[in-house]
Amino acid sequence: MRFHTFVLKNLVRRRVRSTLTIVGMAVAVGGVVALVGISSGSVNSFLAIYQKKNIAIIVDQRGAKQRLTSTLSEDLGEQIAKIPGVKQVDTGLVDYTSLEDLGISALVVQGWIPDSPAMRALNVAPGGHAITAADKHGVLLGADLAESLAKKVGDKIPLFDDGEFTVLGIVKSPIPYEASSMWVSLKDLQKFMGRQGQVSGYAIIVDDPNDKKEVERIRAAIAALAPNIRAKTAEESVTSTTEIRFIQASSWITSAIAIIIGAVGVLNTMIMSVAERTREIGILRAIGWRKHRIVRMIMMESLGLSLTGGIIGTACALVITPLLGKHPAVAGLINADIANPHIIGFGIAMALGMGLLGAAYPAYRGAQLMPTEALRHE
Amino acid sequence: MNSHVQETPLFRTENVSKLYPDGQVHAVEDVSISIRRGEYVSIMGHSGSGKSSLLNLLGALDRPTAGEIYFDGQAYSKIRNLDCIRSQKFGFVFQSFYLLPILTALENVQVPMFEGRLSDSARLRKAKELLDMVGMSHRMNHMPQKLSVGERQRVAIARSLVNDPIVMLADEPTGNLDSISAEGVFDLFAHLHEQRGMTIVLITHDEEFGQRAQRTIHMQDGHVRRDVVSSHRRLRTPMPPFRV
Repeated sequence: MRFHTFVLKNLVRRRVRSTLTIVGMAVAVGGVVALVGISSGSVNSFLAIYQKKNIAIIVDQRGAKQRLTSTLSEDLGEQIAKIPGVKQVDTGLVDYTSLEDLGISALVVQGWIPDSPAMRALNVAPGGHAITAADKHGVLLGADLAESLAKKVGDKIPLFDDGEFTVLGIVKSPIPYEASSMWVSLKDLQKFMGRQGQVSGYAIIVDDPNDKKEVERIRAAIAALAPNIRAKTAEESVTSTTEIRFIQASSWITSAIAIIIGAVGVLNTMIMSVAERTREIGILRAIGWRKHRIVRMIMMESLGLSLTGGIIGTACALVITPLLGKHPAVAGLINADIANPHIIGFGIAMALGMGLLGAAYPAYRGAQLMPTEALRHE
Repeated sequence: MNSHVQETPLFRTENVSKLYPDGQVHAVEDVSISIRRGEYVSIMGHSGSGKSSLLNLLGALDRPTAGEIYFDGQAYSKIRNLDCIRSQKFGFVFQSFYLLPILTALENVQVPMFEGRLSDSARLRKAKELLDMVGMSHRMNHMPQKLSVGERQRVAIARSLVNDPIVMLADEPTGNLDSISAEGVFDLFAHLHEQRGMTIVLITHDEEFGQRAQRTIHMQDGHVRRDVVSSHRRLRTPMPPFRV
């Protein structure tokens, strides 16, 4: 018999308690893995929008808490375009609108320049087309949004109080943010929102987005154009947006709570286990086990429970989260990035951490028992 | 006197006292004794006389509240790792056997060996040898609940020997056994003493078994009342003791 066989037998003999502890741990770890995966997926989704278009720098208003509240002059784009190394400047206005008749209260609407390279780069499904200068009150719908609204090319949509827009095309995108957005021409959005001459920001495409030194030089040159400008690399921009920071903060806070709950669960199980086996620990001490062996036994039992719970929880998160993401209530909003070695590793490490944390005190207590005191225990 | 007995004391207690946890009554009070290497000593006395407490103190299972205990010249209070002494030098046998109910006899015997450096196969081999020595090779895969009380004690004795201790400390090892099983256990102790030169310190209520030791310490109310060296020791050393 090996030492770990003995540890395993100790766990198996208390089947119900071991199972409940494993289930509790699996729920905690699964929840955290799902949340961290969703958080990571959101970052990747936004980043993918930029990477797909080779956007290296995002320019918005200094001090604006989020893209929606950023306001810059439309004329700034010409100055940025003159900086050496800048290949293309995309601009747009982002705002919220509602479709009360259709039961949607908050909808992201983007105003882009018709016929611009960015507009032409949209992946419009066959049967539709991107907005051109010739179109009047045309709108493009993300595929998920079109499905939710049950709209197709040629249908009419009432927008911005008194406007009626024609659906020109359906935009296919694997990125949830884009799939649930809508696009109109920049001039239409400026007019209906009362924001003439304003844009939310600029997306800068450079000759070589992988040349970090060159990107930094251009970023500094743009930032120097005006005091109210904030220029960030695409990655910095994504991770500093309020929405992303909120998602990350929420997932970490929830994770911290789950870790505490998980550790308390293991602590409870191991304290009960040590209390029940006080006499057994006394026997083991009396027949020659040293303190560190008692500590090792309790720690290994705890790690066995937590690791099993961690593996099951991570596996459940891997399977269930994508399925939940397909539910109509959240369709297009969740793009979990769980099948990622870092996140799986995080889940397992978290389980082991909870196991160690939960077993520390019971192990100390078990090791401190005097053999005679333990043997007297009934 | 047995040829294994040496003059140098293996255990020595100096004015050792142990208060019960209530702090009022002495389980052991002002006890000063010496036990030589290779000696076979029985401790006798009524319930509550302090004999088990004294054995626990000798075996480093408990700490005295006053006085000092020496093992092989070293004071317990100066030894940093008493666990080491206990695991390498002492073998314990208890009245209630204290076998782990989730393990077979063979597995129970292997448990103390986790502290050693033996390989899995060596551990297994040694456990089988010891179970064979105590006549339990035919029951080694049985759970303790499936063994008779005599068989359980034999497994416990095998377990106490796995780390090759030089001292056997037994607390009423035959208290739960019938007379035939008890006879067998004492025969085994005699064998260990005679053939292996082990120092045996055991507690018993039984006058006849007590007289088989070379020396009998009588305790009463926590004090040593009499310390008698037997002039007519009745050792029986059948070889091997538990063959079936």
